[in-house]
Amino acid sequence: MFNSLPAYFRNYGLNADVRTLLVLRKAVEKNLVKTLGDVYNVLKGIIVKEPTEIGPFTRAYYKYFLNIDILNGEKLDDAILRSETFKQWKNKYLEEADQEFDESLEDLINRFLDQVHLTHYDIKELVSGSKIFDEDNPDLEDQEDNSNSFAASAERPLNKMADYSDLSLEELLERLEKIRAQQRSKHSGGSHWIGTGGISAYGHGGAAKDGIRVGGTGGGKMARKVMGNSNFFPIDMDSILSDNNVDAVLNSIKGVVEESAFEKLDVPGTIKTGLQRGGLFIPEMRHDKNEKLQIIVLIDNGGWSMAPYIKTVRDLFKKMKTRFSHDLKTYYFHNTIYDVVFSDPNRSKAVPIDKLLLNDKNYRVFIIGDAAMSPYELDRRSIRNWQAIQKKFKKTVWLNPEPVKYWNHTYTTQVLRQIINMFPLTIRGIEQAVLEMNRQKA
Amino acid sequence: MAETSYWEGSDKYLCDRELAQAFHMARTLGMPLLIEGEPGTGKTELPIHYSNDRKLDLHVYPVGSKSNVDQFVARFDHVKYLRDSQIEILNAQRAEKDLETKLSTGGRNPESLADYVVKGPATQAFQSPNSVLLIDEIDKAPREFPNDLLYALSHRKFIMPESGETIEVSEEEMPAIVITSNREQELPTAFKGRCIYHYIHFPDQEVMRQIVEKHHPTINEKVVDVALDVFYHLRRVGLDRAPTTREILNWLKYIKPLAPKEAIQKIEKLEGIGALIKTQTDLERIQQGVLRNPQDFMRRSTPN
Repeated sequence: MFNSLPAYFRNYGLNADVRTLLVLRKAVEKNLVKTLGDVYNVLKGIIVKEPTEIGPFTRAYYKYFLNIDILNGEKLDDAILRSETFKQWKNKYLEEADQEFDESLEDLINRFLDQVHLTHYDIKELVSGSKIFDEDNPDLEDQEDNSNSFAASAERPLNKMADYSDLSLEELLERLEKIRAQQRSKHSGGSHWIGTGGISAYGHGGAAKDGIRVGGTGGGKMARKVMGNSNFFPIDMDSILSDNNVDAVLNSIKGVVEESAFEKLDVPGTIKTGLQRGGLFIPEMRHDKNEKLQIIVLIDNGGWSMAPYIKTVRDLFKKMKTRFSHDLKTYYFHNTIYDVVFSDPNRSKAVPIDKLLLNDKNYRVFIIGDAAMSPYELDRRSIRNWQAIQKKFKKTVWLNPEPVKYWNHTYTTQVLRQIINMFPLTIRGIEQAVLEMNRQKA
Repeated sequence: MAETSYWEGSDKYLCDRELAQAFHMARTLGMPLLIEGEPGTGKTELPIHYSNDRKLDLHVYPVGSKSNVDQFVARFDHVKYLRDSQIEILNAQRAEKDLETKLSTGGRNPESLADYVVKGPATQAFQSPNSVLLIDEIDKAPREFPNDLLYALSHRKFIMPESGETIEVSEEEMPAIVITSNREQELPTAFKGRCIYHYIHFPDQEVMRQIVEKHHPTINEKVVDVALDVFYHLRRVGLDRAPTTREILNWLKYIKPLAPKEAIQKIEKLEGIGALIKTQTDLERIQQGVLRNPQDFMRRSTPN
């Protein structure tokens, strides 16, 4: 069942795999999946693991199950209006509606969304009203036979309930897949999943016509909200660092804190407390927690090419400092380092490179600069300095605001890249840089 | 049979539909429910009210930076064990010296190692069928903790240290497990993969009105209207720390005893705003805004 689902959802940057299908299968087995809205809910619970995945998930879901393609940044309502699925559903709905058609397009979309997101929880609440109606309905007995062919015939009697409790799990799963396939074929789109007028196309229950309040199920409302809110979409990890995504960077940079819950035998502690207990030595354990975070930031603030990034970069490390309150040293240079770096942005207070190298070797060094200069500027002396920094501080990375595709066109960038690991100054770049740092042993 | 009926909240707790459905799904599938969301949106309240409402045992494990699975499952109390094992010798020595008083082990027997096993909330939950287990603020835990935890939970079986006793629970009697997180730390993907995930959206004004009603049923409707307008306005102006559900409820608690007219006046003057605003810079910003343009500040609180 749904063998193509994991791969399909992965294309939207979501984590879906065989386990997703297994859990979905279990959910069907446990009677959790009776309507299309249930499929949405269950899959959401299994696949979505971050608020920022709700957006992509909703897009993938609408495309996969309903063949409704929500374009980037498009409103849900517009995508629905555009779709063939909605057009066919609308025609069928209007055909089947007995009374004069007096609903606005907006109401229609609401109704459509309600039916897409109708869950079996909703039906349970609503069915009581239609139950009375069903009780004196002579057709109810025959419903079990009819139900087998419902996928093929779009003409279903309304306000009847179908009972599939006799069907095996395999049959149910097969049916789910079949309906989905039909939904996606152009000719018979429309109402395979979504009942017109309220009966659920798949499942134990249906609701009477008009049995569902418009806007009542809530699921559609939420889907709409999600599509219009950037909080439910991932931040573009490859976008260049800016004031807006500094916080996201901060999260990735958090990886530099080493923490562990490993317990170690605390020998002095054991002796001390053992003596206090009168010679009863009980092993004392100590959490081996290493939160040492010492950072040196070297910023290239000369030249116009670096100017746009300096403020953001400084903000980033300032925020980091307040967040972690650890040792942070910032130095500045122009294009490349000769004998000195500077401790102030105006580059008036010089700090000899030898002094910089006297820092503890556990410091993590972030170099931020475009690494682009005239070849003669990067002379042998300067190269030796970079090599010395890399040699002393094993955890050194270079963050370059220039797009990666230009790196190969600049001679000095290529040279410096060979000495120091270089990453783009994007969120993903910083994340990778931090990972790389953690791999190096000081 | 496990408690897997659908629970929609109680008269004290308004359970968001989506959350109720996710919770039901988690219980039915026997998977832990991982809830994330802004602070003060009632993450921790869910299992508390659920267990109260359904009269189920609740076991809570508050996670801290030093949490480990031993605390969560069970640990062996070496100190007590050593003490008790020495007591017999001591008592024998005392008897030799004709001393009457004897030291007691408090009913524990050093022969039986199980007496010295201190059971953590997980074991307790596994021993009481259909209970509720809350693991609160898992994002505070050290990195390995979440994965260790799931390993422990997925086997539905714990082996007690030293005594070797096995505590097992059937799939039917598996406790309902709720895990909350404030997203201060990214949880391992493998961990999240084994949970049903739900992100609590911040309630809109309509839902908030219902929440307020559950907590303060007697309060005047108009007062709530005005207070909510101010509250949502404050959330919109982009403060460092936007006020949350918990804070509006506290604020209303302060305002509740007053007569409606007086209460509205107080709200409009932003009295007791300290209940909503928790940082100095935010407070200054708001006070400046109000001082500069007191009427305007309120008028702007309708969405523009």
